[in-house]
Amino acid sequence: MSSLTDRYMRKVEKSAEQKLQEKMDALSQRTGMSESDMFSFADYDEAEAEKTGYSNYSYWRSTLNMFMKNKGAVVMLVVMLAIIVFAVIQPYLPGQMDPNLCNMDPLTYITDRNIPPNEKYWLGTNVIGQDLWARIWAGTRNSLIIGFSVAAVEAVVGIIVGVLWGYVRKLDFLFTEIYNVLDNIPNTIILILVAYIMTPSMGTLILAMSLTRWIGMARFIRNQILIIRDRDYNLASRCLGTPTWRLIVKNLLPYLVSVIMLRMALAIPSAIGSEVFITYIGLGLPLETPGLGQLIDDGRKVMMNAAQRYQLIYPTILLSIVTISFYIVGNAFSDAADPKNHR
Amino acid sequence: MKKMLSLILCLAMARSMLTGCGGNEQTQPNPGNETNAPGDVSEGRTVVENGTYRVLYSGEVTTLNYLTTGTTNEFAIGANVIDTLLEYDNKGNLEASLATEWTYDDEAMTWTFKLREGQKWIDHTGAAVADVTAQDFVDAMKYVLTPEYASSTANLVFSVIKNAEAYYNGQAGVEGADVIDFSEVGVKAVDEYTLQYTLSKEVPYFLSMMTYVCFMPAYGPQLDTLGASFGTSADTMYYCGAYYISKFEPQVQMVMTKNVNNWDADNVFIGTIQRTYNAEAGTIGAEMAKRDEIDYTSLDSDIVDAWLNDPATKDMVSMERPSIDYNYFYLFNFNMHKLNENYTTEGMTGYSVDEKYEPENWILAVNNENFRKSIKHAISRVATIAITTGQSADPHTYVQNTITPEGFAAVNGVDYTAQDAFADIMAKDFFDAEAAKSYKDAAMAELKKEGATFPVKVLVRYNPTDSDWEKASTVLEQQLEDVLGKDYIDIIVVAGPSEGFLNKVRRSCDYMLLLSNWGADYADPETWTDPFYQPLNDDGTYGRGSRYSYMATAIMDKTAAADTVLEYFRLVDAARAITDDIAARYAAFAKAEAYLIDHALVVPYGTSVSDFVVTKLNPWEGQNAPFGVSNQRYKGQKLYKEFMSMTEYNAGATN
Amino acid sequence: MIKYLAKRIGRSLITLVIIISVVFLLMRMMPIEGYFPNFDKMTDAQIQAGLEAQGLLDPVPVQLGRFFVNLFHGDLGVSHGYRNNVPVTEILADKVPISIQMGCLSIIVSLILGIPLGTMMARYKGKWVDKMGTLFIVFIQAVPAAVYYLMFQLYGTLLLDIPLLFDAANWKSWILPVFSMALGNIAYYAMWLRRYMVDESNKDYVRLARAKGASGNTIMFRHIFRNAFVPMVQYLPSSFLNTVIGSIYIESLYSVPGMGGLLVQVIKDNDNNMVQAIVLLYATVGVIGLLLGDIMMTVLDPRISFGTKEGGR
Repeated sequence: MSSLTDRYMRKVEKSAEQKLQEKMDALSQRTGMSESDMFSFADYDEAEAEKTGYSNYSYWRSTLNMFMKNKGAVVMLVVMLAIIVFAVIQPYLPGQMDPNLCNMDPLTYITDRNIPPNEKYWLGTNVIGQDLWARIWAGTRNSLIIGFSVAAVEAVVGIIVGVLWGYVRKLDFLFTEIYNVLDNIPNTIILILVAYIMTPSMGTLILAMSLTRWIGMARFIRNQILIIRDRDYNLASRCLGTPTWRLIVKNLLPYLVSVIMLRMALAIPSAIGSEVFITYIGLGLPLETPGLGQLIDDGRKVMMNAAQRYQLIYPTILLSIVTISFYIVGNAFSDAADPKNHR
Repeated sequence: MKKMLSLILCLAMARSMLTGCGGNEQTQPNPGNETNAPGDVSEGRTVVENGTYRVLYSGEVTTLNYLTTGTTNEFAIGANVIDTLLEYDNKGNLEASLATEWTYDDEAMTWTFKLREGQKWIDHTGAAVADVTAQDFVDAMKYVLTPEYASSTANLVFSVIKNAEAYYNGQAGVEGADVIDFSEVGVKAVDEYTLQYTLSKEVPYFLSMMTYVCFMPAYGPQLDTLGASFGTSADTMYYCGAYYISKFEPQVQMVMTKNVNNWDADNVFIGTIQRTYNAEAGTIGAEMAKRDEIDYTSLDSDIVDAWLNDPATKDMVSMERPSIDYNYFYLFNFNMHKLNENYTTEGMTGYSVDEKYEPENWILAVNNENFRKSIKHAISRVATIAITTGQSADPHTYVQNTITPEGFAAVNGVDYTAQDAFADIMAKDFFDAEAAKSYKDAAMAELKKEGATFPVKVLVRYNPTDSDWEKASTVLEQQLEDVLGKDYIDIIVVAGPSEGFLNKVRRSCDYMLLLSNWGADYADPETWTDPFYQPLNDDGTYGRGSRYSYMATAIMDKTAAADTVLEYFRLVDAARAITDDIAARYAAFAKAEAYLIDHALVVPYGTSVSDFVVTKLNPWEGQNAPFGVSNQRYKGQKLYKEFMSMTEYNAGATN
Repeated sequence: MIKYLAKRIGRSLITLVIIISVVFLLMRMMPIEGYFPNFDKMTDAQIQAGLEAQGLLDPVPVQLGRFFVNLFHGDLGVSHGYRNNVPVTEILADKVPISIQMGCLSIIVSLILGIPLGTMMARYKGKWVDKMGTLFIVFIQAVPAAVYYLMFQLYGTLLLDIPLLFDAANWKSWILPVFSMALGNIAYYAMWLRRYMVDESNKDYVRLARAKGASGNTIMFRHIFRNAFVPMVQYLPSSFLNTVIGSIYIESLYSVPGMGGLLVQVIKDNDNNMVQAIVLLYATVGVIGLLLGDIMMTVLDPRISFGTKEGGR
């Protein structure tokens, strides 16, 4: 239905799946040592021999080091953090307007309608005299909250269900069937029903988006677990009597951290993208809760008119920066978080 | 009776049309009456003879079946391809169409129409199929009254035609309804060209109803064969109007071609109407008009300002003819009882709104006249209407101080709203911050004694699918709180569900202050009492009426406003009883309505805002009526080479 | 393999039945007001008659049973709300072909442009081709389609000197919608092909080929490309079917009379029969797409066998 959103989600899923595959291949290739090690002579040294038993390896430090090597990603991370920080502190800065305040004439109550950017309204006003600068930042804030919430729900529910689904063989058929059904029910029906039962708000939107999204994550985790579950070291652990929960937490999940991070990072721009689509089909956020999707859809309606195009351009630019930064940082971080890439 | 009818025929719509009807004693309009089109505005524009008029549409019709549809969008089909017994001219006067003359008996209960002879039904290729006869009207009405076909407009037939509702309910198997024969329904073909309607009650507006879709004819044998499939495509119906549908590809295009056999074909100036579907018509329509790919588009108010400032597009912009088919008003909710699915309190306890909005407090407040008046005078209607009109139109044009819109009806050449009863109301805009504040002080003093707490929470709802309504609610909140102070009221704007809004909000009373609208069903002021009036049942309770403000709750609960509401109902009852003297009837309705507004039981708002348009037609040449389908007819309109300018539009308005 | 297929198709059928039933129940939860455009003014008898005419007064299980019996006879019912009383199959038969044509064209375009782009990006990894390609991919992902589609239409039509709206008879008017639809897929194919090819190029057999002295191009196309293309194939059927189903944005903007947005529309119209028919169509297409993807993988890469792939796509 939403071919765009769907495709995006598939992309995300496949990206992570593929990465994992690629990384496992790389690992299997790296069993040998490098050429010079193989062919140079070494004298026996007891102290050196002791050192092999010790490693100063720290997972998080290595991750950080790896990440810092990717200059583009670091720049994007700075941009991303700057946007997040600014979106949070913006209302407390001096001279900021309330995003919901309609600026109007104190006597006639006629609004300051569609005023192009000027000194008072830095990015202009909309049709009821609301300051777009304030609305765009409020919109970014709300869209990020939506994105983070949806990603969090997706991660928590998706991982729990996915682990059960993958590890408990008896549940496989049941979950697979649930997946097939849920995956094929058009999101629009669910969205419209949710919109009917509840009034439009951020909570409604988060709920509507989260209702089915976790299933993709669960499926993905389950597939990874199927791949890793019967690897030799896990079989060995099991033979040694390691309890299942410990197997999952210690042996399986760390393996998945990087891909889960990637999925989470991509879920945020994807949720924001869905908001644009949901607004397009008329189920978006109410006016009192600005969102980037809502601002873009409003701007789209006046885009034919050059003088008012500012209402479209600014929110689109911000949305694009947010999306790109999350996308690049997410990819880079997932690479960095993969222990196979730590040298 | 005779006098009254002649006056009805003079029902005028536009305010400029209020002259020339008084004292007109002619009972039957002259069928050959040449339409006196305000054509002078066409000077400087060149008429395209038999041209093709290209237009986009974004809402596809669900059916061509004019007998069953209930949407304005689909009325446009029936209006253009089917002729009615009577029609309106471009000044809002009723004229002969398929009927050439008509008579009625002394009680005005039986109406006989003489049909125009030699009119043909044609098919979608334009080939003649059969004659249009009186039986076609009878068959069409039978179709409308067949529950199986679920006509949305059958209720209008119920309201006037004898035994129509009884027949319908019998067929539908409604409990306690007897099955009666269709011959008992008040419609009969006396002979091939004589049609007779028998009414269930005397209604002064009967002739105006003849222009409505449910009174349109249809070729009987075809209805029998096709049943529910009638009007599903261009080749499953026949045509007798100014146009026929030569091509209908849903969500692609619809082509209407001029019917040269039509009795009035000389007054049909556009040869072909080519409607192309585009779901984004609102977004790209303006650009297409600019590139001359279409001949008409409405302009979003946001764009209008820019177009009017640009020399290249300045002369392309004009307006839609003002329409009063809907009038808006703010409803105060008098009922805080939770309602069941039949909209009665039976078996229900609790409140219709969430308790956090303090319903008990609201009951005290809404029953206080000074409280209602403080809100009435604090609302700046211009401010919210301006959101829709943009800077280029004057929002004052659309403000209405009455529930019955100006220009809806006139008696003795005087507009209904210009009657004495309305003198004070019409004198000036309600918005008056000083008056509002003094009512506020009075209300606060009175309400504090009754134990009310301040600020009073006022729950305002809107339908989120209507973005202008959403914006207006935001402005309203800020504006009201600014005038009256946050110590007095706390306006809480909450979006309603986008699906099933009316059921869940207005009918279920889940609001406190709500912008609502009403459209006329027939050409008589009585239709404008329907949203407020509730009939008294035999057991002393009140019916739910049209499920609008449930004012009768005040009477049943004996609250402070009980007497005021009761008096309004009494005034309406009195007005309804007058059927033989139209002037007295109108005066009585005016008195009731003035009472309603004076006591701020409801706050009138305004009419629908006319769109700014880019058009190659001249909107003043089309048929015009305060209700029904006539406004959507292309007949009488000429297609010009150039787009109409604002100057030409204004010239047409004053003509 | 045949046994596996039969089992899998059997299970897909059960899935379809469950999906349809769930959607059926969900649609019955919608407010009845949605069935009538002028609900406000209708009498109770009229509303009852209207519900009766659509068979909505029976208990839901009875309605569901009737639906499946009719479905078994190939009867999907008539539309109510979208196009009253017109058979659903007739409506779909009008709309499906144009979407298929446009979808096929756009897939062809995206393959023709996306595969060379991806290959070039992998071949010249880190060079300007790669950088420009990455920029394009990021742009397509970041900017909402609703915005750049509109830009394309506005300026594209001026550039090509054609009308804004689609006209099937004018070949030029196919260019913009097809190309707009292809954009997403071009970026998608290029991105994945590049990724797979870069992965492959680090594998031992490639090193061996290089050590043997095979030319860069030979390695790229004879070895790497062929192997990198296998995992792509799996996703082709579903991406193809998804494109064919249509794009709500493109079809709305250009007035293409296809399937895009149809589902949203009929859900809003409360047109139960249409919703069921379309969901059935989409779900069937989805299930077939998965099946086809798996079969194509097996055909292209003999190392993959069916048995192990059970549920693990």
